[in-house]
Amino acid sequence: MEAAIQLDNLQKTFVLTRWRRFRRVRTEVLAVAGITLDVPAGQAVAIIGPNGAGKSTTIKMLTGIVHPSGGHARVRGMVPWLERRRLAGRIGAVFGQRSQLWYHLPPRETFELLARIYGLDRERYRRMRDELVDRFALGAFLDRPVRKLSLGQRMRAEVAASLLHEPEVLFLDEPTIGLDAVARQELRAVVREWNRERGVTLLLTSHDAGDIEHVAKRALVIHQGRVVLDDSVASLRRRYLGSKVLRVRFHEPPAPFHLAGITVVKSAGSALKLHVDTRVVAIERVMTAVLKSGPVADIAIEDPPLDEVIAHIYTRPPPTAEDGAPA
Amino acid sequence: MNRPSVYLHVGRTAARSHLAYLGEVAARATFLTVLLYIFLQLWRITYAETGADRLGGFTLAQMLWYLAMTEAIILSAPPVTPAIDQDARTGGIAVHLLRPISYPFYRLWVALGEQLVRFALNALVGAVLATALVGPAPLAARGVAMFLVAIPLAFTLDFTAHLGIGLCAFWLEDTSGLALLYRRATMLLGGVLLPIDLFPAGLRSALAFLPFRDVVYGPAHLFVQPDGDFLVRLLVRQATGVAALGLVAAAVYRAGVRRIHAHGG
Repeated sequence: MEAAIQLDNLQKTFVLTRWRRFRRVRTEVLAVAGITLDVPAGQAVAIIGPNGAGKSTTIKMLTGIVHPSGGHARVRGMVPWLERRRLAGRIGAVFGQRSQLWYHLPPRETFELLARIYGLDRERYRRMRDELVDRFALGAFLDRPVRKLSLGQRMRAEVAASLLHEPEVLFLDEPTIGLDAVARQELRAVVREWNRERGVTLLLTSHDAGDIEHVAKRALVIHQGRVVLDDSVASLRRRYLGSKVLRVRFHEPPAPFHLAGITVVKSAGSALKLHVDTRVVAIERVMTAVLKSGPVADIAIEDPPLDEVIAHIYTRPPPTAEDGAPA
Repeated sequence: MNRPSVYLHVGRTAARSHLAYLGEVAARATFLTVLLYIFLQLWRITYAETGADRLGGFTLAQMLWYLAMTEAIILSAPPVTPAIDQDARTGGIAVHLLRPISYPFYRLWVALGEQLVRFALNALVGAVLATALVGPAPLAARGVAMFLVAIPLAFTLDFTAHLGIGLCAFWLEDTSGLALLYRRATMLLGGVLLPIDLFPAGLRSALAFLPFRDVVYGPAHLFVQPDGDFLVRLLVRQATGVAALGLVAAAVYRAGVRRIHAHGG
């Protein structure tokens, strides 16, 4: 499949200067230490990493806003920082903490302006606007000043505004920051639909595991400016932590059982929630023990929450080449 | 560069957005009332004390109408430097750079749109006040027309200076001090309080090399004393000023956008 985004040893070094005893001291900070990566067209990729890992800097280099210190990158065949204005018509971006909507005007006015900026003809603009209004459920507040919208409504309008010119690649930098649970779910659903139905390539950064789990298929973990893990979201959750959550409901209270590698997370009458460390005990052994302890009415084996996986990766030192981690 | 209609639409959107600030604009207009009344009293005394009918070529009525227009211009200046300063320092410029549009031209048309709303109200209030205080304007349609021809470049020249100052935020922690200096210089040296004609000859000559008089004095002078040659000279000076300051601002911008990384992550 054709690569929508290609990075080849992309690097960014910031130079911080400060005065110390009448002397100017320059400090170099390595924000992105050399990322190599291909993202096929239509893929939804999440970039995960703690604050300062280099996620936003990478997105800003790929949108042409920040100039890299080294390496190469192409987005839809263009070098972003050299062809920024030409590329702008083919990409969209939402920065969760920055707004492109006019605060005192209704979203419709911003859409009108963006249509002119992107040179959309009236028919194409109206078709896209109506489709986005329908998909993002903007109809109720399309003509209400942005200052009177809830944060959830505003973010839906922000994402819709970034899709108006039908970009081939959409960059989402912490799009759900500050949103409540319902608004987050709504936003994830429409973004996921747009990615799957329209084939828009997605590059998403977020600290919210739900965003990554529900929107992305592939996850990159960045630590200190390097990709320390590049895997599918499902595999990341399944393999990386090496644990499972087991929920069991018995017909009657079960007999107590003890097995190394099992932690009882919750016990209420005939229901149990167990954390199983599969590196210590095989899941089959646990199942056998559970079935022996009482008549089982229902049983479910779940992957651990992605939050847990991410927290584990963050606190783990970056793997070395010997660990077999991707560079 | 994008089609001019795109930037016209940016200006129109900015003007519509700024209508939400009518309360603030009205408050400035109230301030204008107080200012004009005080100046009228000062100039009345000055004219009476000197016994002259004209000072610097201006009658008392012309002087008040001149002041009404200079104040309308100066009080209509939008907060260009703080907006650009914020964009540069916080990284907010990223949102603008994502679009196929020139950031400086985008900011110019936003400023022009806002200034149009402010200036229209200030000029209206100034005209009503001046009429009430010294009678109908001693002017002709020719003066109004020349004034309106000179105003867009005056605003553009003022914007270009503010753009250069605001973009310094890529290097400086805060540009508000520089912006304050520029605004005060415009007020004192631009002929806001006193027509340049009344300045000492040496200072007048020095001011010929600075842009301040072309922002305020030039258009207001044309309003009360229309003169074709003066208009042509003013337009040439304004265009030269815009080109010179524009080159400086463009160089600052080109160097500044390469430093975006250090501002706002």
